[in-house]
Amino acid sequence: MVMCARSVTTASIDKAFGSESVLEDVSLDVEDGEFCVIVGPSGCGKSTLLNCLAGLVAVDDGYVAYDGTDVTGRPVEDRDVGYVFQEFEDTLFPHRTVGENVAFGLEQQDDGLTDAEIDERVDEVLDLLNIKETREDVPEALSGGQQQRVELARQLVRRCDLFLLDDPLADLDYKLQKQMELEMRRIHAELGSTFVYVTHNQDQALKLADRLVVMNDGRIEQVGTPKTVYNSPATAFVARFVGDSNALTGDVVRSSDVGVVVDSELGEVSATPRGDVGTRAGVVLLRPERMTIGDGATDRDTTVQAELRGVTYTGEVTEFSVTADGLDREFIVSEPGRPSFGTPGDDVVVGWDAADAQYFETLSVSGSVTVEDIVRF
Amino acid sequence: MASDATQQPDEGTTHRGTDDAVLDVSGFTKIYPDGTLAVDGIDFSIDRGDFCVLIGPSGCGKSTTLHSIVGKIDVTDGTITLDGEDITDTPTYERDISLVFQDFQLFPHLSVRGNIRYGLERMGVPEPEMEARVDRIVELLKLGDLVDRSPGELSAGQKQQVALARSLVIEPKLLLLDEPLGDLDYKLQKHMERELMRIHHELDTTFVYVTHDQTQAMRLADQIVVMNEGQVEQSGTAEEVYDAPSTAFVATFVGDSNTFFGELTAVSEDGSRATVETAFGDFQASTDNLVSSPRDLLGTEIPFSVRPQSLSLGAGGDNELTCEVEDVIHHPGSGTQVVLEAESAAGSKTVQLMTRDLDDAPDGRVTASWAAADTILLEETSVVPDVDLEADILGE
Repeated sequence: MVMCARSVTTASIDKAFGSESVLEDVSLDVEDGEFCVIVGPSGCGKSTLLNCLAGLVAVDDGYVAYDGTDVTGRPVEDRDVGYVFQEFEDTLFPHRTVGENVAFGLEQQDDGLTDAEIDERVDEVLDLLNIKETREDVPEALSGGQQQRVELARQLVRRCDLFLLDDPLADLDYKLQKQMELEMRRIHAELGSTFVYVTHNQDQALKLADRLVVMNDGRIEQVGTPKTVYNSPATAFVARFVGDSNALTGDVVRSSDVGVVVDSELGEVSATPRGDVGTRAGVVLLRPERMTIGDGATDRDTTVQAELRGVTYTGEVTEFSVTADGLDREFIVSEPGRPSFGTPGDDVVVGWDAADAQYFETLSVSGSVTVEDIVRF
Repeated sequence: MASDATQQPDEGTTHRGTDDAVLDVSGFTKIYPDGTLAVDGIDFSIDRGDFCVLIGPSGCGKSTTLHSIVGKIDVTDGTITLDGEDITDTPTYERDISLVFQDFQLFPHLSVRGNIRYGLERMGVPEPEMEARVDRIVELLKLGDLVDRSPGELSAGQKQQVALARSLVIEPKLLLLDEPLGDLDYKLQKHMERELMRIHHELDTTFVYVTHDQTQAMRLADQIVVMNEGQVEQSGTAEEVYDAPSTAFVATFVGDSNTFFGELTAVSEDGSRATVETAFGDFQASTDNLVSSPRDLLGTEIPFSVRPQSLSLGAGGDNELTCEVEDVIHHPGSGTQVVLEAESAAGSKTVQLMTRDLDDAPDGRVTASWAAADTILLEETSVVPDVDLEADILGE
């Protein structure tokens, strides 16, 4: 059941609701067959952007094209896109069986399919989603995860070249979400169609995306592979939103062989500049897993005497919260497994290399983010 | 079998030191009017000042238990004791227990301060003391700038803080929280987890928290109570539950595990290792986690679990398994997840492997290997008889 995929292009989209600007100058290229994930905090405009791509919301300015053809004015029913919502429970017909629910969209579509062909397609998609055995059940008899799969099946059975998905796993229990994330990747790979997927969950976004689009305040902050976005964030907002980090504030006092020296709350620290620096106060961001605690820390470029405040074992890693003179907050340092570096109240050494301390003066694309916001984040 | 398996060798896994238990739940059973057995005679106790997390899949009875502790749901059988006093039939408002809801339930017509004062006013606390208590809690929760606002002017995270403040200011013996972070954005959830840990750390209040999110439970809890189909699978610290799971259900629900089933066919001379014969081959496993003597289990069917991070690609461990690579997922910051498929005459099985960042994605046929020491034998699948483990974990 391999489908065709289509590319999606938007150019300089603007959208306002009343006087409130929701999208500003949003240009995005999604390649055919890509799994593109748009991630950002509540209110960043990601769902509005998805609705603009679908044609559910009209753009004020700019255009949307599928495979290079402008579809900006084309009504949603003529666009041939699959759309999966988060609130799936309300969209299934309670008195129809799973099979009838899935067949419904095809019957409505009126593209000359015979009953036997519809039947075959329904079977095929239920099989793909591992819910074949529920075909004769009503939605109420299904678990949340199965119902969500029925909603997916209803869209996938239409064999659209483009699927738009608005946080479809958000309402599921943790374990089911993890399971469905793997399913989503498998389904995307098997269908070969283009997926544009919106979520607030950056962990999910990193796992699903071929390409990640990070949004904030109606603008795109960065587009890139998960690895690029994580390792080379374009702005402090991106570094802070995608993955965990610890923030120091300060400004550049001089450059060094490894980058710049920043005068921070913890004194002078070496850091790697990201973007243009040297004109104003900025932030140094440190990933917890790139920091070291204990004896190993003394070999790193920057070493800080700290006090251990808390130890949290999560199974895979242990997180140590520490504080230090000059710091009015706690930093998190994570180490794999379950090592021990003392008990809360003990003195510990914490360290990191200049390459792992990223210094930003460009806090966000929109310019609406302050140093205080980044620290408080 | 069920009761035996929950008794761990190190004392106090099921019941932690009850010397200073603030809450004791004994033989608690709940049958709803339609005949549904929601909770089936469970026992657990919570130490004073602990952060206790009830966790389990949808429908496991965790919310029913929480709502019975606060008195919103009546008890079919069993007793609930708070600070030595039987409160099983005590009305909610006389229990000295506060409940924080997921949807906050703030009074929209009152300011933040008015919301926080509300409980104290009802209790008739004199004005100077009331103001002092409100101020203290406002400072603790960092709500100083918001006290004059109305709930409508607050963000979701701020509303959650106010709901917490309102419940904490009356200084209840127990603070119950029913999935309080469930509706928040991912980032805000992580932030609020830290805030909850800080607030709990600074107060003496005992917290009882319900969630389906096992990572939250691992982070927050002094004590985790793992529930499944109305029963307690295990109660213990995060370390105990993760490192010494009492059943395959616990091993798989709390953190990720690859769980296999097979016949225990041999035990090493010193009793530290056993051989388990499965459809996928014979594997060497550590007997450390068993309660029974390993030799008594010879010839029986038994599950064992291996954490994804204990597996490595390539031959060389005590145990080896040939698999097909199904998917490779890079998690920047935490490594590479490899989804494998193992084949046997009895069917195939998905195996999860987590390793440090791999630059080159493996594909095709590979060998996964792991140490016997990381192969945890489990005495039974679950305290619930005849479960389909996978469906059970997913709440299906």
